[in-house]
Amino acid sequence: MQNSQFVQFASLVMLAIVPYILASQGTMLAGQTGLFIVSQEGVMLVGASVGFLGAYLSGSLLIGLLLAALAGAIAGLALAYFTTTLKLDQFVIGLAIFFLGLGLSNLLFKLVVGVTLQPPIIPTLKAVPIPLLSQIPILGPILFRQNLMVYFSILLSLFLIYFLYYTSWGLSLRAVGENPKAADSVGVPVRRSRYITAIVAGMLMALAGAYLPMVYTGSYTDGIVNGRGWLAIALTFLGGWSPHLIFVGSLFFAGIEILALRAQVLGVGLPYQFLRMIPYLATIFVMLLTYKRLRTPAFLGLNYDRESRTSL
Amino acid sequence: MSEQSVVWRRQGLGSVFQALVPYIVAVIASFAAAGIVLAVMGYNVPRAYATILFTSFRTPNGIIQTLIKFVPLVLQALAFTIPLAAGKFNIGGEGQLIAGAIGATTVGIMLAGWPAPLLLPLVLLGGIVMGALWILLPAWLLYRFSINEILTTVLMNFVAFELIDYVATNIWPDPVAGHPTTIPIGAGGFLPRLIQQPPLHAGLLIAIFIAILVYFYTDHTSAGYELVATGANARASRVYGINVRSIFFLSLLLGGAIAGLSGAIEVAGVHHRLIAGIQSNFLLLGLIIGLIAKGNHLAVPFVAFFIAVLEVGASAMQRTLMIPGEMVFIVEAFILLFVLLSDVVRRR
Repeated sequence: MQNSQFVQFASLVMLAIVPYILASQGTMLAGQTGLFIVSQEGVMLVGASVGFLGAYLSGSLLIGLLLAALAGAIAGLALAYFTTTLKLDQFVIGLAIFFLGLGLSNLLFKLVVGVTLQPPIIPTLKAVPIPLLSQIPILGPILFRQNLMVYFSILLSLFLIYFLYYTSWGLSLRAVGENPKAADSVGVPVRRSRYITAIVAGMLMALAGAYLPMVYTGSYTDGIVNGRGWLAIALTFLGGWSPHLIFVGSLFFAGIEILALRAQVLGVGLPYQFLRMIPYLATIFVMLLTYKRLRTPAFLGLNYDRESRTSL
Repeated sequence: MSEQSVVWRRQGLGSVFQALVPYIVAVIASFAAAGIVLAVMGYNVPRAYATILFTSFRTPNGIIQTLIKFVPLVLQALAFTIPLAAGKFNIGGEGQLIAGAIGATTVGIMLAGWPAPLLLPLVLLGGIVMGALWILLPAWLLYRFSINEILTTVLMNFVAFELIDYVATNIWPDPVAGHPTTIPIGAGGFLPRLIQQPPLHAGLLIAIFIAILVYFYTDHTSAGYELVATGANARASRVYGINVRSIFFLSLLLGGAIAGLSGAIEVAGVHHRLIAGIQSNFLLLGLIIGLIAKGNHLAVPFVAFFIAVLEVGASAMQRTLMIPGEMVFIVEAFILLFVLLSDVVRRR
């Protein structure tokens, strides 16, 4: 009995892990080239809106996800253009794109759906059990009886660990975020690296958003992201901008989210509003515990100008 | 940021006009972009523009709606730009607004019978104190452990959303309201009206007073100079003996206090009670105002007024032409982008 409760809890955590992993790994990847993105909340909303509408109109969740990724790529491209080519402040541009995303996502939804009594519904992502592996007791149902996005986010994390630490391409990418001048001098394409990571980051963030209506309610509301974008930034900092720690941190964040939900359902004596504060307060608390060991790319948040004399 | 205001003062009116050119271009460009979108969607573009720009000036009600909107917008912008002058980002203005509104409501309900000369200042003070308390944790974490204030201030917003829901549904709920709302505060806590019909509350005078005060503080006092110097170059300021850590701390606290005051004014002037959702989208608009003004405290009130005009126009447009109000929010974000782009043009 206790066993099956644990399995149920753990598989819910695996469901909730996806948006945290995707948005944080995206943030981390762009950060490795020195780009500090703060538009997560906005890009995730655009992803949720575009993904939902794409799935609703086409009847296919895959098309919704692809369209969301495209929208995210555009957001990433805009971010890279304004910061890397035009050398505008990364934080301010990030906020501006966050504002635009907020406005566009709701505008798009209103224009396409209009005012309806019954909110439109899309089907949710189905679990795709992996043959054999899903038969393993305990581990099987937790890890191998999930939807495709869960597998995707786990594989993505594994790939990023391999790519950033075990390939020369990944090493030069990280050099861009640590010391772009040095990277530039040995021929690493600084500007192109930033463009590529920004676009991939935008796609991952939008997918993180698109996942939300597809996994829980099947409907879109303007509060659907509910701070997860900001939590993803916090998670990236807490994970020290490294893919494996971000993966572990995502488990923790998703665990807190599910626990808070569980506590609401079970009723633990505290009013539900206080339980819903927990993820945000827990994040601040963990920041306090880990601030000493936090490591960030040295050039994070700064724009690189080949012709300027100033170095770090 | 502040270099610009120094330049303005030295070179007089001609350069003020010159500084305005990119803003005018930004506004025209944003409206043109939005116009194309509206035209493609088949809306009547001239009518939409006329509604956005002139609703505020056509009727007395329009003017007063604009002024009422101006109050929280200018205060939220200042709550952002004061720490910004020191190089710190307060993205928690709506959390502090909510905390301030809760503080004001608590005082207003607990001391409901008190006469206005006592109760009203206490209600406003309750807002200021709670706003400052709400940013105390992020400010302290920055001061003591150098923990990034952007994230902590944002996260405190989400905590505040839950707290206001709790206060409005569990502590002093109004059983008749269908939405989380408290019972009204004592009448002594209401802000007096400057105009009876349509009603305009005296919070406007407070907001204008605060805006002038902040301008003099940052641009004409030595304490404000230390603030601006810290924002311009924290390392150099430290070498010159400025305690930059306490400057960071105090600037955040000041921002929180002003945001809390904006919450108290919303309670004492507009709603006379606590309502979930009282924060509206004032934080985002405040950030946009502060960034469009580039942190210049002389410009903030004027930009805030302009955005208030657009916002009042936006709701009129939504009512009469059925064009979603988000359209105007996007225009505002575009104005910000174009203003930022003007820096690129100037650099070349």
